[in-house]
Amino acid sequence: MNDSFLRMLGGVVTLVATLLLLQSPALAHKVNVFAYVENGTVYTESYFPDGRKVEEGAIEVFDKAGIKVAEGKTDHEGRFSFPLPAVKDNLNIVVNASMGHKASYLLKKTEM
Amino acid sequence: MSNNFTVVALAAASSLFVATQALAHFGVITPSDDIVTQDDDKKLGLAVKFIHPMEGPYMEMAKPRQFGVMAGGEKTDLLASLAAQKGKSAEQTESFTYWQGNYQIKRPGDYTFFLEPAPYWEPAEDVFIIHYTKVCVNALGLEEGWDQPVGLETEIVPLSRPYGLWTGNLFTGQVLVKGQPAANVPVEVEYLNPAAGKKGHLKPPSDPYITQVVKTDANGVFSYAMPKAGWWGFAALSEASWKMKKDDVEKGIEIGAVYWVHNIDPK
Repeated sequence: MNDSFLRMLGGVVTLVATLLLLQSPALAHKVNVFAYVENGTVYTESYFPDGRKVEEGAIEVFDKAGIKVAEGKTDHEGRFSFPLPAVKDNLNIVVNASMGHKASYLLKKTEM
Repeated sequence: MSNNFTVVALAAASSLFVATQALAHFGVITPSDDIVTQDDDKKLGLAVKFIHPMEGPYMEMAKPRQFGVMAGGEKTDLLASLAAQKGKSAEQTESFTYWQGNYQIKRPGDYTFFLEPAPYWEPAEDVFIIHYTKVCVNALGLEEGWDQPVGLETEIVPLSRPYGLWTGNLFTGQVLVKGQPAANVPVEVEYLNPAAGKKGHLKPPSDPYITQVVKTDANGVFSYAMPKAGWWGFAALSEASWKMKKDDVEKGIEIGAVYWVHNIDPK
């Protein structure tokens, strides 16, 4: 192995390590989604454990049969709301944040 | 060994025993769950007691002066939710009053429950005891609020996040009196010991294992590594800046800042 190869290898290792370091804060933060019902509207909130909001997170809402009944994006406060479906039953609310962070919340019929 | 020596030794031993017994009072708040996930029941039960946690005996507890919860930076009074109950340890023949409360979690976040009991007169120590007690429950993945003081006369503010701890983890906290760090004060540590024969029961081999003691540093900070899964209580003891009268005689007041944390075995 010659010196220039070792130098290049060192550079690659440093670059990879730097990229990993840059990513780690995001990796260490699990995404959460929470939902509640008020006056016929379902309010959702998407957040990281430290309180930062999930912005531009893709929200998908599925009914008990797995059929999508609502979708949209979270605002800068991590919020997204939609009208409560006429048939009150369990809703599975899924948020897809950047870099594959995904979470879901089961809004129970009893909470509507 | 002379008889005189035996008598002296016995007297010394029994006074030590009395002292040990008297040392280990703890205010307690035990929530039915410390980490509430979306699959859990969001209605918490809260047992509020004044006991010797390691050894089990209850003490009679008058209705607390304050019982509440701080969440999202706001305090809510929960005194009205408390109902008087009777309880005793396996060794006690008489039952004593403790309190049972409940709270419905509605939103994600940290819920710090806090207690200011009525002053308890302890004749064995010739002092009143007031243990300002706290415990934190996390709900639905939002870890915000556990590091905030409630604003009690004295309190422990956690420096280690007080939930999601493994057995053997170091719990670090800062003791405040009137909002200022309390340097060089003793912090008594006890395990909330299930009754003999119950899962998790611990039999201390000698008195110093009943109540362990660490002291705060110049910044009021202490640490302790919990050796066993379950609830551990930390009671930082100071003397109150005021006195109270017992039978027309002024008496000192021991103020304790108590914090409870739960840990589980890694597996």
